[in-house]
Amino acid sequence: MITWPGKEVSPSPGFPGVRRMESTLTIEVSGLSKNYGALEALSEVSFSVRRGEIFAYLGPNGAGKTTTIRILSGLLKRDAGEVNICGADVASDPVFVKERLGVVPDESNLYPELTCRRNLEYMGELYGLPRARRCLRAAELLSFFALTDRAATPFGALSKGLKRRLTIAAALVHDPEVVFLDEPTSGLDVPSARTLRELIRTINRQGATVFLTTHNLQEAEALSQRVLILIKGRVAALGTPGEIRQRVQHLKLLDVTFSAGIEADKLLKVCPAVIRALPQNGAWRLEVAEAQAALEQLVAFAGGEGVRISEINTITASLEDAFMSLVKDGGAQPEVTS
Amino acid sequence: MSQLRRALAISCKDIESYYGKPPLITWGLMFPAVLILSLYVKDPATYLAIAPGIIAMTLLFGNTSMAAIVITFEKRAGTFQRLLLAPLAMRTIILGKAASAAVYGLATALALWLGLKLVLGMPLVSPLLFVAGLILGAGCFSLLGLLAAVMVREVFEAMTLMNFFRFPILFISGVFMPLSQLPAWIKPLAFLSPLTYVVELLHLGVTGRSEFATPIVPLLAIFLFLLASWLLAELLFRRRAYA
Repeated sequence: MITWPGKEVSPSPGFPGVRRMESTLTIEVSGLSKNYGALEALSEVSFSVRRGEIFAYLGPNGAGKTTTIRILSGLLKRDAGEVNICGADVASDPVFVKERLGVVPDESNLYPELTCRRNLEYMGELYGLPRARRCLRAAELLSFFALTDRAATPFGALSKGLKRRLTIAAALVHDPEVVFLDEPTSGLDVPSARTLRELIRTINRQGATVFLTTHNLQEAEALSQRVLILIKGRVAALGTPGEIRQRVQHLKLLDVTFSAGIEADKLLKVCPAVIRALPQNGAWRLEVAEAQAALEQLVAFAGGEGVRISEINTITASLEDAFMSLVKDGGAQPEVTS
Repeated sequence: MSQLRRALAISCKDIESYYGKPPLITWGLMFPAVLILSLYVKDPATYLAIAPGIIAMTLLFGNTSMAAIVITFEKRAGTFQRLLLAPLAMRTIILGKAASAAVYGLATALALWLGLKLVLGMPLVSPLLFVAGLILGAGCFSLLGLLAAVMVREVFEAMTLMNFFRFPILFISGVFMPLSQLPAWIKPLAFLSPLTYVVELLHLGVTGRSEFATPIVPLLAIFLFLLASWLLAELLFRRRAYA
């Protein structure tokens, strides 16, 4: 197990990460609204994040995720609503709130000319850590993120994966209560992404509340205790991944692999029982109205097209299916389950 | 105190990252040194009438350019966002950025004077006034550079914006011609230029002569310009730094 530097491991494996007992909520957002001219970026968004949880904030491009993070981290003013982080409003007490936040932007933006160690020490200076503490902290974090052998390497010379790791390390220098991770594994190869996910789990296990935005729904499902889906600036769903999946349990899904390429338009025309067809990893994810009828129509379709059905599986709806369903509906039926 | 320490950290980092580089130091020194040497070669008896003005001009161009370049460069690279995300008051960021640019300007101007002293025997009648002129001028010009940088996104935009201000004031601020010899209609404009007062303070420092009866006038005037630049910088940074 990776050991989180400079902190004690929570003695309670059931509910790790309890740091301050004043409140069980770290982030409370109520009626948050933001407009860019005529464009409504956020409308009456309300949610809360519990202390010590990993909270995934999902949505398609343009849904308002980045706007939310920018408001919560004090980079953008809101038009309306209340935002309370660690007991204070970021608009009225930005220094207090920022001292408790660690933010990992979607782009790794440390100083390219500074070495890994100097970047971490400089971040420590900006957060007011005494010299001895920041030097120790930098060494701990370099070790924790397996970057000790790159300590003297300039940030600009690192690979994308290592840059991402150091950017996350920089957000942890001051031992924040809340960590905002904006697309932490975006653009990384599979091993790097997996390593980072494990690091995120470890950071959370050791006490930090994690606010995660990602396009990777499997990642969100695997990491987070609760999920918020934002569509067109409005909360479309909020709950545990299981609760959100429940919303689409009525969907009947088939994964079908054909022996050769087929055209979705033709399939939908020939198979009226198939409502939607999405290509997925060489197969087709089909949403069907009635499974038996769809199977018969698919067999007929394959025969007509001169292709074989290599594999066919019935699928339990995933968070991604729920997400797609909500996106299709345009988030018109908000459902907050917890 | 904590915020002051953080401002110092920003300044030290910027000096380490940007201002300590050999090309910048040589650019800041070589250009004005060659210009003054040319004047000396032409007429050793009169070069002192222009040399303080050239040092002031170097301070103006060096400080405004560097302060603007550093901010626009960091905005483009995304690293400026690190400062906005950190628990820093806006005035801490302004102080940190302006101070590093001012230190650069001050160091190059002093090095330039030292070089000229060694090579040409350039005098220094009043070191206090000379250094005061450099410090106040460097602070004021650095803040003007920050002002330009926060209003635009690209380096060239910042340079274009500043050139509308920098080049005209070169000709009205007594750099190449004493204030008393300027055409009557330009004189009132000269008093609106911060460069005028820096030039006069440097003249006082180097030769002991000035167009003003007392050094208090240029000292007070450049101090007021510094104060106004600071207040304007705070106002604009609060409005536009997050853009």
